Amino acid sequence: MFSLKPPRPTFRSYLLPPPQTDDKINSEPKIKKLEPVLLPGEIVVNEVNFVRKCIASDTSQYDLWGKLICSNFKISFITDDPMPLQKFHYRNLLLGEHDVPLTCIEQIVTLNDHKRKQKVLGPNQKLKFNPTELIIYCKDFRIVRFRFDESGPESAKKVCLAIAHYSQPTDLQLLFAFEYVGKKYHNSASKANGAPLGAGGGSSQKTPLFETYSDWDREVKRTSASGWRVCSINEGYMISTCLPEYFVVPSSLADQDLKVFSHSFVGRRMPFWCWSHSNGSALVRTALIRDVLQQRKIEQRVYNAITKSHPQRSDVYKSDLDKTLPNIQDIQVAFVKLKQLCVNEPFEETEEKWLSSLENTRWLEYVRAFLKHAVELVYVLESKRLSVVLQEEEGRDLSCIVASLVQVMLDPYFRTITGFQSLIQKEWVMAGYPFLDRCNHLKRSEKEAPVFLLFLDTTWQLLEQCPAAFEFSETYLAVLHDSTRVALFGTFLFNSPHQRVQQSTEFAISKNIQLGDEKGLKFPSVWDWSLQFTPKDRTLFHNPFYIGKSTPCVQNGSVKSFKRTKKSYSSTLRGMPASLKNGIISEQELRPRRNSLILQVKPAPLEPRDSQDWGVEQFFQEWASRPADLHGTILPRLSGAHIKLWKLCYFRWVPEAQIQHGGFITAFHKLSLLADEVDVLSRALRQPRGGPTPAPGPELAPSRLYFHAGGPYDASGTLDFLSSSFPFSPVGNLCRRSISGTPLSKFLSGAKIWLSTETLANED
Amino acid sequence: MSLLRGLLGMELIGMWERLFLDCQERFALLDSALILDVPLGVISRIEKMGGATSRGENSYGLDITCKDLRNLRFALKQEGHSRRDMFEILTRYAFPLAHSLPIFAFLNEEKFNVDGWTVYNPVEEYRRQGLPNHHWRITFINKCYKLCDTYPALLVVPYRASDEDLRRVATFRSRNRIPVLSWIHPENKTVIVRCSQPLVGMGGKRNKEDERYLDVIRETNRQVNKLTIYDARPNVNAVANKATGGGYESDDVYHNAELFFLDIHNIHVMRESLKKVKDIVYPNVEESHWLSSLESTHWLEHIKLVLTGAIQVADRVSSGKSSVVVHCSDGWDRTAQLTSLAMLMLDSFYRSIEGFEILVQKEWISFGHKFASRIGHGDKNHADADRSPIFLQFIDCVWQMSKQFPTAFEFNERFLITILDHLYSCRFGTFLYNCESAREKQKVTERTVSLWSLINSNKDKFKNPFYTKEINRVLYPVASMRHLELWVNYYIRWNPRIKQQQPNPVEQRYMELLALRDEYIKRLDELQLANSAKLSDPSASPSSPSQMMPHVQTHF
Repeated sequence: MFSLKPPRPTFRSYLLPPPQTDDKINSEPKIKKLEPVLLPGEIVVNEVNFVRKCIASDTSQYDLWGKLICSNFKISFITDDPMPLQKFHYRNLLLGEHDVPLTCIEQIVTLNDHKRKQKVLGPNQKLKFNPTELIIYCKDFRIVRFRFDESGPESAKKVCLAIAHYSQPTDLQLLFAFEYVGKKYHNSASKANGAPLGAGGGSSQKTPLFETYSDWDREVKRTSASGWRVCSINEGYMISTCLPEYFVVPSSLADQDLKVFSHSFVGRRMPFWCWSHSNGSALVRTALIRDVLQQRKIEQRVYNAITKSHPQRSDVYKSDLDKTLPNIQDIQVAFVKLKQLCVNEPFEETEEKWLSSLENTRWLEYVRAFLKHAVELVYVLESKRLSVVLQEEEGRDLSCIVASLVQVMLDPYFRTITGFQSLIQKEWVMAGYPFLDRCNHLKRSEKEAPVFLLFLDTTWQLLEQCPAAFEFSETYLAVLHDSTRVALFGTFLFNSPHQRVQQSTEFAISKNIQLGDEKGLKFPSVWDWSLQFTPKDRTLFHNPFYIGKSTPCVQNGSVKSFKRTKKSYSSTLRGMPASLKNGIISEQELRPRRNSLILQVKPAPLEPRDSQDWGVEQFFQEWASRPADLHGTILPRLSGAHIKLWKLCYFRWVPEAQIQHGGFITAFHKLSLLADEVDVLSRALRQPRGGPTPAPGPELAPSRLYFHAGGPYDASGTLDFLSSSFPFSPVGNLCRRSISGTPLSKFLSGAKIWLSTETLANED
Repeated sequence: MSLLRGLLGMELIGMWERLFLDCQERFALLDSALILDVPLGVISRIEKMGGATSRGENSYGLDITCKDLRNLRFALKQEGHSRRDMFEILTRYAFPLAHSLPIFAFLNEEKFNVDGWTVYNPVEEYRRQGLPNHHWRITFINKCYKLCDTYPALLVVPYRASDEDLRRVATFRSRNRIPVLSWIHPENKTVIVRCSQPLVGMGGKRNKEDERYLDVIRETNRQVNKLTIYDARPNVNAVANKATGGGYESDDVYHNAELFFLDIHNIHVMRESLKKVKDIVYPNVEESHWLSSLESTHWLEHIKLVLTGAIQVADRVSSGKSSVVVHCSDGWDRTAQLTSLAMLMLDSFYRSIEGFEILVQKEWISFGHKFASRIGHGDKNHADADRSPIFLQFIDCVWQMSKQFPTAFEFNERFLITILDHLYSCRFGTFLYNCESAREKQKVTERTVSLWSLINSNKDKFKNPFYTKEINRVLYPVASMRHLELWVNYYIRWNPRIKQQQPNPVEQRYMELLALRDEYIKRLDELQLANSAKLSDPSASPSSPSQMMPHVQTHF
């Protein structure tokens, strides 16, 4: 097993400065002083040298040698070895290629294969053996494995213990984000006064954060929600600690009434507005009314007010989410099973029963349930023109998904990048989705549940079915999910906006940071993507299929034939089930043939059906028979055959599941080149043409697309590095064959188990 | 029609007289709201349902089972004898063989501006592969189908094997289907050879010529010392075949060969599997346990095994490890699947529209896949045990590959669906009869139209806009349940609830952008003209914008 290990480097040479020669012939391993790249406030806690990172499961010939570091932010593996197999096509600026943020660690397993011992490391635990191997299970489905055969046994042990300790902090303020922001404040204070990071910073300026009155006000105006007003009674979180400071309520409700009502709601989360349809129907979220005696009365008052805010004075439709949807424990259980199936179980063994195992996780069933429920509410809002109230006990979990999904389906703005981000601010961050608990950054809560991921997954289903309706790509969604695991961004760090203010004020006082007028520390926003990615890499977020409002394809009269009104939906065919159009009959063949009789079939009167299901079904059929309007409502197809597993997200680290030189990305690449060429042409057309001005070259306006015409990737043929995992790469991230042959599932059930020596003795 | 009736509220009772039979080819129902157009060839079975005493709206009428996974049910009024007449007419024309009537393809007078029969010319195809060469020769020994009546007239065999050798080998191979070359690797010269099982029998018979013949095949490629034999069947089936005189090449006798079983099941298993698929998709799509229901059909599992087998063949040949012999029992079902899929993976030529037509024409039609028996063209015996969706399974595998490599194929999904539709329709002669000798006897190429005439005269409709032509790239699909999908657009297309996006939104977007690009280029050119007309000094004007635009390859 260790036959390929290189000669042990001498300690003497390690301490020398790196050799300046580039002599590759030198058979001695090149020894450099390997230094980690640290962020402000980041400190190295422990480190160990001569560590081997395992790359392939069946051979050690690709393994990398380097130094393993544990800092207060990440574990970092630093190496000089080139990585022949690893082909990453994006780089996170906060993290090195081999780094794992501490908040992304799910479980730490140490083992010693000489003594045949292994242990799952918790915080403050002792390790009675010197580990020869360390396996890190990550929350993003990666599994990273290190070998310590050549390292100092004591330092290896120390690093493992440090990782265990620092990845499981006892207090929120021990999360690195605080140290980082504190450092930034100190640094900026020594230079000049003022906020160091700006409100969300750089490119995120466009994304409304909904921290201010004006953001809400603008949203009310954007949706023409007359009858609704921004209310400020929660300024300073005087009413509720899990509502935003500003939110929107029916105009007919006075502040004084709201204050009185608020006491009756769980978490004092009184009904607040999310969005209004152009027909005036509003979407509202609320917590349960705790006080049974008051329930009727308050509900009546509130519903009357909502009705009054509706231009048609329509009734209110109440959707009790707790009764209709899986709860967060269900979601967590499904997710754990899904993860088990996708990455932990041996690939081949799961193949035979893959479909039923996938079904048994119930993940797709839940994805479907949320989409289905959202479709029903879209129907109520749009077709029945009723306002909808989403009711959930606390109103901080299921409501977030449902409210967001309804808006993504109904409002094209939320299908743009900025709009989607503002939606997450509005319905998740500010609405008090408990990111801290659900992401389980502190690793001791029983409240972990991937509700946010479920939302991204349901969004992906929509994107998959209506690719031209979204400005963002699936890479964007995957990266957004990964960002919840970095825990540097204020966006995903807290249970509520109030918690941010409270915790960071406390922290600021303890660190002697002058906050001035600010309410709490300004943490970096995840929407400031420049913190994580270069402009080039950020172009991966853009979906070349997207047809934006300004895309001339729709507006331009001269390309009429390619308007989205499909010719095939001509009047003679309208109402015909798509299944038949899809069949044998081609368009020409539809013309009556020689001597043919035109048959008359009388449509029977529709059977009256009262059930909501029938209405929704009909609503869907009508929608589906119209030409797709990408700037209107989009609805998902919900049959079992249409709800799919989000492979990029769940399989990207699984080498066996990777389609080399294939996958959807190859079509994406091809379309990007064309979309970019169209962009360039359209810019050239818009260029004023008076006089001999030089035509603008493509270099003047950087392409919005990752692959662009004339760019470095404008090669004919399929690019070698494209694969179904692109831009991620499973190589080097998953070495699953062993923990000396023990099925890894045993380690991931959460139980901290010791394996008996007999179990291990049976393994090779 | 009860399905449509329920869902669309159509009144269809008593409209038999309005059903019409058009030129014996298809029957159709037309209305401003509904069109049903079914080629008669697609009908597998017609049954009367209900009797004179039946009550209830839809209990009396006809039930038509189709080969393409749908059933049509017509309800009609009991008065008169309309049902009897209709039943008789439909039966007569849907099953012409039983009524001594010609199959519709022989009556079809359609004209196309391309003749699809010229697409495949075996000599040209072998020449494209660089054959004959020093090791392989083209033989006309089967010119009159005397050596093997289910093989094509023209065969490629080892140069060192004499015609006499071939005859002797033929006696030892099931139905005389001797090992012949299907494909040769252009560089390493390893080959894919196809044949039927050796007639080993219970007694373990041997045939020196057969043993030597395989060794001669091995020697055509000097790089290795073993020949790889893939027996497509499960091991037990191969053993069981000994009882009926068949068997496999055992190591003791064929010293220089390695034998692997690929575990692909027989035609009966596949037929039952597809039946189960139909059960879960028609008339209603199984909702609550979709994935486990799908699993219980084993359809994707069979697809996986076929693809896995083909990948192994392709990998063996491409890596130059050894030449490969593929057989099953008779070498016309699983063998055709494996050789044609392996060739599709290895040779990018077959991934073009014409290349694929040639592949089908060569590996399936000319080498005697028994289309007539497997599909039952014009035959009323719907329960015939010879029927099996082997070719459909192959097309499904191709579709799976095209899903995994969206830019690798010149053709689109519509192309594959069109092929499958006309597999049953009997409108073209392409898939009629079991082998070349029968087709020649019936003068199919003279008397019928080829499906490729339809397709090649309107190629644009069948083109994949993302196609990027490549040479010498081997495609290795991932034959994992994680990637294999049920082909919804084919198997579930009849379900009105499963609304399919047609055309594919991604493809459509690409076409729109192409049109937009052309429009822009045109307008830029016009602006350019206008500008240069205004400006008297031509040297100062910029060059044509369309020329400045970086050229994007768009293969058409």
